[in-house]
Amino acid sequence: MEQGAHPHFDHLIDLTKGEINRSIFSDPAIYQQELKQIFARCWLFLGHETQLPEENDFFTAYMGEDPVIVTRHSGGQIGAFLNMCRHRGNRVCRADSGNQRMFTCPFHGWTFANNGNLKTVPGYKQVYHEKLDMESHGLVPVAQIDSYKGMIFATFDASAPSLEDYLGDMAWYLDMAVDRREGGIVFLPGTHKWRIKCNWKFPVDNFIGDSYHGPVSHGSAWESGFEGMPRRKKGYGYEGFQINAGNGHGFGARWAENEEQVYEMALPEFLAYEQDRFPETHARLGDLRGMHLSPMHASIFPNFSMLWQSGNMRVWHPRGVNETEGWSWCFVDNKADQDHRDMVRIHDLQRHGTSGTWEQDDVDNWVQSTLSSRGYVGRQFTQNLSMGMDHEIEDPTSIHPDMRGRVAGFQNEINQRQLYARWAHLMDGDAPVVPGATA
Amino acid sequence: MNRNIDIWFSITQFYSREARYLDDLEFDKWIGLMAPDLRYWMPIVSNRIGRGIGSELTERGHLAHFEDDFESMSNRVKRLATGRAWAETPPGRTNHMVSNVEVDRQEDGLTRVTSKFLIYRSHMETDQEVFSGTRKDVLRADEDTDWKIVDRTIILDHAVLTQKSLGIFF
Repeated sequence: MEQGAHPHFDHLIDLTKGEINRSIFSDPAIYQQELKQIFARCWLFLGHETQLPEENDFFTAYMGEDPVIVTRHSGGQIGAFLNMCRHRGNRVCRADSGNQRMFTCPFHGWTFANNGNLKTVPGYKQVYHEKLDMESHGLVPVAQIDSYKGMIFATFDASAPSLEDYLGDMAWYLDMAVDRREGGIVFLPGTHKWRIKCNWKFPVDNFIGDSYHGPVSHGSAWESGFEGMPRRKKGYGYEGFQINAGNGHGFGARWAENEEQVYEMALPEFLAYEQDRFPETHARLGDLRGMHLSPMHASIFPNFSMLWQSGNMRVWHPRGVNETEGWSWCFVDNKADQDHRDMVRIHDLQRHGTSGTWEQDDVDNWVQSTLSSRGYVGRQFTQNLSMGMDHEIEDPTSIHPDMRGRVAGFQNEINQRQLYARWAHLMDGDAPVVPGATA
Repeated sequence: MNRNIDIWFSITQFYSREARYLDDLEFDKWIGLMAPDLRYWMPIVSNRIGRGIGSELTERGHLAHFEDDFESMSNRVKRLATGRAWAETPPGRTNHMVSNVEVDRQEDGLTRVTSKFLIYRSHMETDQEVFSGTRKDVLRADEDTDWKIVDRTIILDHAVLTQKSLGIFF
């Protein structure tokens, strides 16, 4: 397969064999198509509402390679806009976060309100002769913005389905992170941001379903006092399920038969909190979500990932076909006291994110998998995602009547296969409808 | 005056030795320079403008790059010795340069020191990383190692890390 010659994408993903073509990790033409077909069409995670506690708070983020400003403007409403002056395209905001009602472009001084409206243009009378249409030159808003229990998502595609439909069953499962207790979760201040010379799909693939790499990639951390959660009490880690929630979203979870086993999977320092939280979580979420499933890892298509029990959420921003920028946050139950918040934060940062003893050992694997997709000969050999192909659980409700989605054993690449199937489907699908686009 | 020069000289020599332990991968000796009540903290820096100027660093209780104590730093060192710490397999080649050492204050047997660091790391074939920043230390005099590090705050200059991870020590 030559690079740059892909009129259709589904043939790059062969689900009958569990094989994918490596050029999707290295072809610059495919990457450009991803910015349009994936990142301009999908609902992308921007951040959490608790990052904007006050009116006029803002933070900057990315949607694909497009920089955006996320603001809480008048009346507490949350909006997201391209961080791009409509005049010369300069960024109107150079801060990562803050509190401002107005954004003045540092280039020529066009000034925008935090609801996107263009308010003042220097020389509007003298040099524009009042001919500039101020109304149509506001900051470009996202086509749709919505939040699920505090999690803010947006899309630039007016024709995209609602966030509820987009998340589908994943929202119901996401409750296991964001709705365990009354009051939901909060994001602690501070974002880890770092660059990795890998294609953005490798970390998404890793988080959506790669429970297989844990003992090899992360053995050193596990043995040295950085044990993860849920705690592996027995065996190599075969017990549990990979659950595919549809639309390219999926996660892996360990299985607890009963309340006792929930506590067995807690690290000693978290046991008291788990015991205190369990009755509330169980009452809110029921047996399946509130007791049996101890979720570990997840990705929401296209580039959001999380580690449920470690209090970690992150986004993988694409930065060219060979580079990715990770943004990682720590979340805790809103109800948690300071002691518990401290423990979650320290647990998280010592394992995940920039200095994470787990995280750092993943990086070179993703870099090298990207590099091997660049050689001509290497690209003639497919990437193998065949694990457990004919071993899906035929009737997931036989495990539990409430189970949703497609389910396989804990060590099974079902979630990666569905991730790339979703990718191919969108790459071959309709173009995004960006309101107001004139180019 | 003479006494101050002695202290300054002793601390700069201590920092050079510490840097050498790190660059020579002698992490057991390095951890031996840390006090048992160590606090090792690297807040996150971000870009602020206007009224936000001055609040670039995350605070205690916020997310940080490092928030460690003697036990967790010892565990990080232990991890490197397993032979399966893949970020350091093969190990990176570093040069820790420490300069601009200023002895700020001495009280209650503790000495406060500010210094600057520039670390170059070469890894694998062509990976190159530069780390620059400021260290604010609290040192305690020690018979065996001259000084022990009781508290170290590391302010790394990078808002988005261009390094693939923070797998080294500062």
